[in-house]
Amino acid sequence: MTAEARDPAAPVLSIDPVLSIQDLRVEYKLRKEKGRGKLIATAVDGISLQVYPGETLAIVGESGSGKTSLANAVMRLVDAADGRIMFEGTDLVPLRGKALRSVRPRLQMIFQDPFESLDPRRTVLDTVMEPLVIHKIGTPDERRRRAIAALERAGLTPADRIGARYTYELSGGQRQRVAIAAAMILEPSLVVADEPVSMLDVSLRAGILRLMADVRDRQGVAYLFITHDLSLAWMFADRVAVVYLGRVVEEGSPVELIGNPRHPYTQALVSVIPVPDTTVSVDRVVLTGEIPNPTAIPPGCRFHPRCPLYRELGEPEQCRTSDPVLQMVADVEHEVRTPYRVACHHPQAVRTTVEPSSDGPEPVEEDR
Amino acid sequence: MSLLEVRDLSVAYDTDGSTVTAVDRVDFTVERGEFVGLAGESGCGKTTMAMAIPRLLPRFASITTGSVTFDGTDLTKLDDEALSGYRWKEISVVFQGALNALNPVYAVGRQIAEPIKAHEESVGDKEARDRAAELLEAVGIPARRAVDYPHQFSGGMRQRVMIAMALACRPRLVIADEPITALDVMTQAQIIDLLRSLSDRYDLAMILISHDLSVLAQTCDRVAVMYAGRMAEAGPAGDVFGEPGEGTGAQHPYTKRLLRAYPNIHRERVFIDGIPGSPPDLSQPSVGCRFAPRCLDVMPECREVDPELITVGRDHVAACHLLHEQVRA
Repeated sequence: MTAEARDPAAPVLSIDPVLSIQDLRVEYKLRKEKGRGKLIATAVDGISLQVYPGETLAIVGESGSGKTSLANAVMRLVDAADGRIMFEGTDLVPLRGKALRSVRPRLQMIFQDPFESLDPRRTVLDTVMEPLVIHKIGTPDERRRRAIAALERAGLTPADRIGARYTYELSGGQRQRVAIAAAMILEPSLVVADEPVSMLDVSLRAGILRLMADVRDRQGVAYLFITHDLSLAWMFADRVAVVYLGRVVEEGSPVELIGNPRHPYTQALVSVIPVPDTTVSVDRVVLTGEIPNPTAIPPGCRFHPRCPLYRELGEPEQCRTSDPVLQMVADVEHEVRTPYRVACHHPQAVRTTVEPSSDGPEPVEEDR
Repeated sequence: MSLLEVRDLSVAYDTDGSTVTAVDRVDFTVERGEFVGLAGESGCGKTTMAMAIPRLLPRFASITTGSVTFDGTDLTKLDDEALSGYRWKEISVVFQGALNALNPVYAVGRQIAEPIKAHEESVGDKEARDRAAELLEAVGIPARRAVDYPHQFSGGMRQRVMIAMALACRPRLVIADEPITALDVMTQAQIIDLLRSLSDRYDLAMILISHDLSVLAQTCDRVAVMYAGRMAEAGPAGDVFGEPGEGTGAQHPYTKRLLRAYPNIHRERVFIDGIPGSPPDLSQPSVGCRFAPRCLDVMPECREVDPELITVGRDHVAACHLLHEQVRA
């Protein structure tokens, strides 16, 4: 199956997004330093994004980018300092208690670490049935039937045997399948997946992602897919948003964003993607230093202290003083099917992917 | 003579009366100044094999067959005292999880100076301090930060400190066990570039252990892939990760399948493939090729005879009956 087989996001623009994040801010108040008042870390600093039904939006960033805070805010695991999180038309930000619980069946999460996210004292079947029990759906018999079916769909067969086991008895890949089965049993419209395969052996990743893709195709679930791995986002997502220090700096279709990124940060990130292939050689742009502290966000463009383009252009004042807005870019060269946005005063499309250098044949699938 | 020649090495773990042969008759060579990647899924024996070189194995593990010849000396034959002359000074290790391995109560400069003073008696406090400062600079940390404590450094910076420490006694071989696994891509790129430049600058041989083949492709001179305690394939990185074809590219079905488990942004946008199943339980003796139960190309012979490594290209070996057939044909 090629990832291109799905028409990425093309038809969805005319309908309402399942999730619309508007000017979201997430702040963490740190301890008071003597004489300096409260120290505030701004993890998410005005992010607006939409996710359409059945679509996968990947949020890509390094640690400290704010991607996990964004996910946690959507799940209401942390409070938003400002902004709105419209889920199926309802703003989640002011919701508490019962009102919040009532949206939960439609909004689920898959966590990074299947060893920590599942209760080891429960059986697999109990784990998968739990959402039905909490939301008082069906009779015990019906719940059981649905859970067994969910396990089968998740590739955990024979489902009755695996269902009777405790989650601690399972391998990491199996646990993540259990977590997915439990997240999907209420047929949510949006699942926030926070690095769902980063703890797994590389040989198991494809199986988990394929399962997620199957559910997407069958149930029409949308994913907010949080990852540090730009190449996975490229393969799996319909749209990609790159975040840096609490802001979206670039957003567009994966092919466009990886192949011709316009923001210097994305360009650098793409250039260092490790590829198991020595037939291509890429000019790597290795940024120096680290993401700045979110308690002291640089003025102007927050990326300018590390920006290679800023130095190349002779350190223009605009980059130091004016905070660039995430703007739509018109695309003359490429037929862009999804809105493409970039936050840079001097955006330039740079071709970052290269064709394999040799004249040899394309890699072919092995026989059989 | 190679800097390091591992021949027919086996390492067994004794647990609860059962024996698990985690490394089984492995051959492995590192030339002077060479940068070698060691890959495989978790549990394939790569860390055990690498730690058997300076004999830094847990107490319940032992070398059961083979030799580890470093610059002409078989390290498996040395007593502890003689071996301690090799650790740090000839072979040093950057341990996995090193981000938490620094002592939180000592300044980093002091921690780097410690092995120098312990292993080089002639070196006084001042010289050890100066060398620690120099090493910090060499790994890209300003020398003035020698007085800072580990918690004042980020993960990437702490990994740099660990690398400086490994270089403290000017070894000729550094074994780095998953040194970038917990780091962000950009920090990974920084550390990889650093290791590569240190290797070139000090003519340092490096064994880079990583579960991530894609990281090794652009870093290493040569790469070795282990599976279930056996060496599956080893060869120049340019061959193993090169254009697939007869005699070029990965040869072992395991390596080929692993390579398809990574997205390649320079090629067609296709869904990655996995390798269903899991590596065999090494406490049960196996017959035949260990990859056979997961191999799509399995032949009757594969279930009966364990394939030996054969030469498939220049300095390129792989252990697979399919390749034996090709060679015979």
